[in-house]
Amino acid sequence: MTVAAARSRSVRRGARRPAPRPRWLAVLAIAAACGTPDGAPRYRAAGAAGPREGGVLRFSVASNVATLDPTRANDEFSYLVMHPMFDTLVDFSPTGRDLVPRLAERWTVSSDGLVYTFTLRPGIAFSDGAPITAAHFKISLERALTTEDSPFAQYLHDLDGARALIEHTAPHCAGIAAVDDRRLELRLARRNVAMLAILAMPFAAPQRSASADGDALRLRHAPDASGPFMLAHWNEGIAVVLRRNPHYHDPARAHLDAIVMFENVPRDTQFQMFERGDLESAAGLAAPDFLFVFTSEAWRPFRQRAVAMTAFGSRMDLSRPPFDDRRVRQALNYASNKAHTARLLYGTTEASHGVLPPGVLGRDPALAPYPHDVERARRLLAEAGYPHGLDVDYVTYSDEELEKVAASLQGDLAEAGVRLHIKVLSFAAYLSVIAQRGGAALSYIGWGADFPDPINFLDANFRSDPLPRTNNSFYASPALNAVLDAAREELDVDRRAALYRRAERIVYDDAPWIWDYHQVASEVTQPYVRGHTLHPIWMRDFTSAWLDVGPDGRPVPR
Amino acid sequence: MTGLVLRRLGWAVVVAWFVVTLSFIVVLMLPADPAAALLGPHATEQAIAKVRDGYCLGGHGLQRIVDAYGCWLGKLAHGDLGESYRTRRAVLDIIADRIWPTTQLALGAVVLQLVLGVPLGILAAVRRGRWPDHVGNLVGLVGQSAPPFVVGTVLLYVFAYRFGWFPLGGYGEGGWDRLAHLVLPAMSIATVGVALYARVLRGELIDALGEDFVRTARAKGLPERVVVGRHALRHALGPLISLVGLDLGVLLGGAVVTEVVFAWPGLGRELMHAILEIDIPLILGVVMVTALAIAVVNLLVDLAALWLDPRLRDG
Repeated sequence: MTVAAARSRSVRRGARRPAPRPRWLAVLAIAAACGTPDGAPRYRAAGAAGPREGGVLRFSVASNVATLDPTRANDEFSYLVMHPMFDTLVDFSPTGRDLVPRLAERWTVSSDGLVYTFTLRPGIAFSDGAPITAAHFKISLERALTTEDSPFAQYLHDLDGARALIEHTAPHCAGIAAVDDRRLELRLARRNVAMLAILAMPFAAPQRSASADGDALRLRHAPDASGPFMLAHWNEGIAVVLRRNPHYHDPARAHLDAIVMFENVPRDTQFQMFERGDLESAAGLAAPDFLFVFTSEAWRPFRQRAVAMTAFGSRMDLSRPPFDDRRVRQALNYASNKAHTARLLYGTTEASHGVLPPGVLGRDPALAPYPHDVERARRLLAEAGYPHGLDVDYVTYSDEELEKVAASLQGDLAEAGVRLHIKVLSFAAYLSVIAQRGGAALSYIGWGADFPDPINFLDANFRSDPLPRTNNSFYASPALNAVLDAAREELDVDRRAALYRRAERIVYDDAPWIWDYHQVASEVTQPYVRGHTLHPIWMRDFTSAWLDVGPDGRPVPR
Repeated sequence: MTGLVLRRLGWAVVVAWFVVTLSFIVVLMLPADPAAALLGPHATEQAIAKVRDGYCLGGHGLQRIVDAYGCWLGKLAHGDLGESYRTRRAVLDIIADRIWPTTQLALGAVVLQLVLGVPLGILAAVRRGRWPDHVGNLVGLVGQSAPPFVVGTVLLYVFAYRFGWFPLGGYGEGGWDRLAHLVLPAMSIATVGVALYARVLRGELIDALGEDFVRTARAKGLPERVVVGRHALRHALGPLISLVGLDLGVLLGGAVVTEVVFAWPGLGRELMHAILEIDIPLILGVVMVTALAIAVVNLLVDLAALWLDPRLRDG
């Protein structure tokens, strides 16, 4: 996923208001005089033995959804409503580590790893009842390849004939064939073992050419839903409402009548709405609310945490001094103190030694994060020719939490003699600056995976031949390229994992980033929300959630 | 009169053009590439270059601004404000969606300012130096000192979260529900206005009450409420009407902070998103609407002033 998306995907930690319950407000006599919430859940689960059908689950997000076009949308908020709407051939299991069949009944991979043949389930249909055939997958994949502002074309470059389609020298991608209505064949020009994981992303959901190529409004308001839910209504900027898809092939997978996602609800208001019972779930909590929920015994059974597929730190521009010298990069890694970030972000971090988060193939658990060692940092800087330290510009974007993290890093590096000059830009300006060689010597960096494969971390950020735009530290290592090439084509899982461990070690030593942390996402739900856990990829996936409420459909008071 | 209206309308267009042109230059001078921001880091250089060309952003320096401006004006000549980079929706459609919520909020706030500010100002003027005047002063001080995001947060916390009298933000479904959603954001904006209106009216009314025509009215034996309500107040309302016009104009461009705090789907919030995303067509569209709103409302205010004060007509 893009850096932009990584930012929006991240659970928004940090303080947006100054105290757990604004104390200065508590002295307002008017407020003190009235009944105040005691902070414990208002409701309890009714105690049903199995899933109860019906009900509406409401949650909110702090920004708005730009589009529901699966070929284009690539941010957390869109994904929250797109995943329930767009079933794909395969999906990630609840742990995120395996793939399970969805619209595909089964699939085979040829022994050379170049041909994937999918057999679709019988009787699958769009939300209007029209049957889904293999041709609809060909439409969506080709659309991703030919849509200029689709972030997903890059994932399909290994398909045979992809280049010809992109360059308009062929009308179709030769490597995508709808053999018959129920059989889809994908032929690769080059082996890519991440292909199945790529096909689990919403952009690979079946689409019809009438809506895909037709007017944009139809796509915004009547997308071709293939999942358990369909779009009931989207009042843009206010709320997206999903309702159950009556034509979904596996009705037992969904239990709710509807899912409502309110847009643009400020984080501070979110938890107040949740406490009042206006929302069933709250996540990305403001710091005071987070501290309250995660220290409250009453809420303990209803809160969840999960390490997200992310990596955060500071990226260095290796194309110029001083960061073309590995000793300087390592020095900065030794000088930064991960404990400070963890404290600033209320413990919602897991210290990192590289870009691969826990749970991703090839992550070497034996590799420890760089220790905080100021003396060693000073020594390395002196060896690199900076005995009196150095001045470095650091770029980040306007965000309360990130500005605090930057200030903390400034303090850490100062101990080693590195004088950091922080520049805070708008997000769009930040993106432009870090994408240019010579644009920013040192800057904040965040990465969130589209799919949980090391390709989406290591190749995306550190490969140099060809150089993806996402490698904005301009790191180049022929040794790493060779290992990544081998790993990309390795069919044996153990050997592939070993290759990525080698790759991780190379990047760890070369230190193109100051490795800081992987984000720990958190969520709290009402006691009557059941059948829902934070998913490592989809995060707040309410597809199979159900409401354990009373016979009248209302939550049972505590 | 018709000539005056036409002249002022012409000026409104000139003002709007000037403001939009200035905004255009400022936005394009930002150190950000809208095409790269739109496509994200995954995009190839070729794709970015193609999008840049599509939006006439391909040049460099001054040439880039001139090209993009020419492109934008060309579309505008056909009544097309372009499409939002981020959502791909027509800017006109977005503005059409957002202008009504903003209008409701602007009207709600101004009505509250008048309903609360005018009586407070009258009371402070006729009871000068006594407790109503002191209360008015205090309200004025607090109202004008507190920024809207503080007032909005306090209102939400006390009246929505603690008391549960109002919804915790949002737009509502219409009818009474919409009204319930409107009260707190309108109040949040109106707090400053109430204080200002009360202070301005107090001052004007005190001046008016010392005028000869008021002495004459009193000498004629008119009751005090008629003296104040019909004679002095009409004289004192001029500056207040100008203020109402100014407020309405500004508020019709969207109350950014209040709309964000209360999740109100108006132009202000849209503008904030557009600025953060460097969504140039949307920024320009909203700025143009704001400039036109201010110019047109000011024209209406001037007409109202002419109607209220016959002496201006002669001038």
